[in-house]
Amino acid sequence: MPQLEATLELDFQSDIYKDAYSRINAIVIEGEEEAYANYNQLSTLMPKDAEELVKLAKMEFKHKKGFEACGKNLNVSPDMGFAREFFAALHGNFQSAAAEGKIVTCLLIQSLIIECFAIAAYNIYIPVADAFARKITEGVVKDEYMHLNYGEEWLKANFDTARAELEEANKVNLPLVWSMLNQVADDAKKLGMEREAMVEDFMIAYGEALANIGFTTRDIMRMSSYGLAAV
Amino acid sequence: MGRFELPHSYFSMLQSLYSLLPMFGLIGHPTSLEHAQATADFLGFSEYSSMDLDFWCGAPPFIADEIKVTSVTGDQIEGRYVESCFIPEMLATRRMKAATRKILNAMAHAQKHGLNITALGGFSSIIFENFELSQIKQVRNMTLEFDRFTTGNTHTAYIIARQVEQASKQLGIDLGKATIAVCGATGDIGSAVCRWLNKKLDVAEILLVARNKERLEALQAELGRGKIMGLEEALPEADIVVWVASMPQGVQIDGDRLKKPCLMIDGGYPKNMGNKIQMDGVYVLNGGIVEHSLDIDWRIMETVDIPHRQLFACFAESMLLEFEKWYGSFSWGRNMITLEKMEMIGGASVKHGFKPLLLPL
Repeated sequence: MPQLEATLELDFQSDIYKDAYSRINAIVIEGEEEAYANYNQLSTLMPKDAEELVKLAKMEFKHKKGFEACGKNLNVSPDMGFAREFFAALHGNFQSAAAEGKIVTCLLIQSLIIECFAIAAYNIYIPVADAFARKITEGVVKDEYMHLNYGEEWLKANFDTARAELEEANKVNLPLVWSMLNQVADDAKKLGMEREAMVEDFMIAYGEALANIGFTTRDIMRMSSYGLAAV
Repeated sequence: MGRFELPHSYFSMLQSLYSLLPMFGLIGHPTSLEHAQATADFLGFSEYSSMDLDFWCGAPPFIADEIKVTSVTGDQIEGRYVESCFIPEMLATRRMKAATRKILNAMAHAQKHGLNITALGGFSSIIFENFELSQIKQVRNMTLEFDRFTTGNTHTAYIIARQVEQASKQLGIDLGKATIAVCGATGDIGSAVCRWLNKKLDVAEILLVARNKERLEALQAELGRGKIMGLEEALPEADIVVWVASMPQGVQIDGDRLKKPCLMIDGGYPKNMGNKIQMDGVYVLNGGIVEHSLDIDWRIMETVDIPHRQLFACFAESMLLEFEKWYGSFSWGRNMITLEKMEMIGGASVKHGFKPLLLPL
């Protein structure tokens, strides 16, 4: 039986690593910024939950600061222009849904898709991160599970009325996640993160969230297949 | 008088009790990419039936089947089949990280679903052992509890040993005069089979075949007998060949050089000896397979051409552990299988109605 290939040796100070990090770090910072803004916006759409949502938003802001520190620690300037472009489509979909008061779609984008994307990426990043970033990311990922749980619980409680909108929102937004993953695959690889591992972890987190909300395995398999359209 | 209706809370309570019902698990995988595609189609996931190996490398585990098993004692248990999405081609193309990730993620999935005892079927336990996955206890936010898993090797070894005993009788081979070659003798299953042959059966000669010389010598010392031989040298001398080595690519065996009759018990994985050796006087029996006395209610096995009553003994081990409520890793690690444990699981196997598969003579 062949053995596992030796783990890639990473040089955190090399130009190749830092160049890739400038985009990945920016995506993470922008992702947390988006999350901060999205939860604040949701708090106005969901006044009953406003207090909790503002609390979640504050946590995302803290994460953003943490990841900014990770970039500074490696003397990397995050390429924020790239990151804003990266999130543009998902950002646009969230804004349109918010403008129409479509809470279910907003929650699917922020609490399920973005949170699961973050959980997958952070879990894959932790074992290959530099010591400073590892510590920060470990703290962040614990919070992200909590945020995912918020969305799950709300959608579970409103499953009967939310179901159709969730399916539609999934169909529109899941292909975006795949194309986002494809866009960063090369940079992520330079950081020791493999695309297929991120896809798998995303599908695990997303599938578990959909199952907790009330979808069956069959529904989840069908809904997940929309991601493949972008491959 | 109005119809008696149970309050909604009663159903919620039943539902939560139901989720606490003891359940066993099986972690399985397709036998090839082609099989994976056919299975996806069979299960109604046609979107996935044209997907290539890259897709399966990124696919998450899922519960592919719900299983109900009834014992001849009348006891009933329920289980879940966890599809790991591992495919043997991952090993052949050296996608080792994907292969190991599949197994760990499937284990985490089984644990998350509260399965009490889950068997690592097919290549799962081989990958777990060879890549020393016991060092990786943390899968994301979950700490794997290894005592919820079993390799199922004790029951497999017991069944193979009983197949030697019973199938040799079918062919009129007298064990007291017979030479048995055990290929893969130093492995977990191989060494256990050797222990059984040595102590429980009156076998004239045991030939020990494996690659590692040190392990062979240690086994020989433990048994106090057995000839260490190379494969080519051992095969022509054997009346019975017990094949328990696992090789993704299999091995070429020249049927002309075998004794006639020769009983070949194919206990390796995947099982492909039956297709390779088709010759008068050579009888190939699928090793480590049991037949249950009653139909098992599952769909997933329809995709592997085995009837509703046949299954891998390693899968049956998790069912037996669930029937007996013997929780904990019954089979774990390498070369830890004792005769006492083989007798214990063998007793449960007989009690609940499982029988070793024999030759269709």
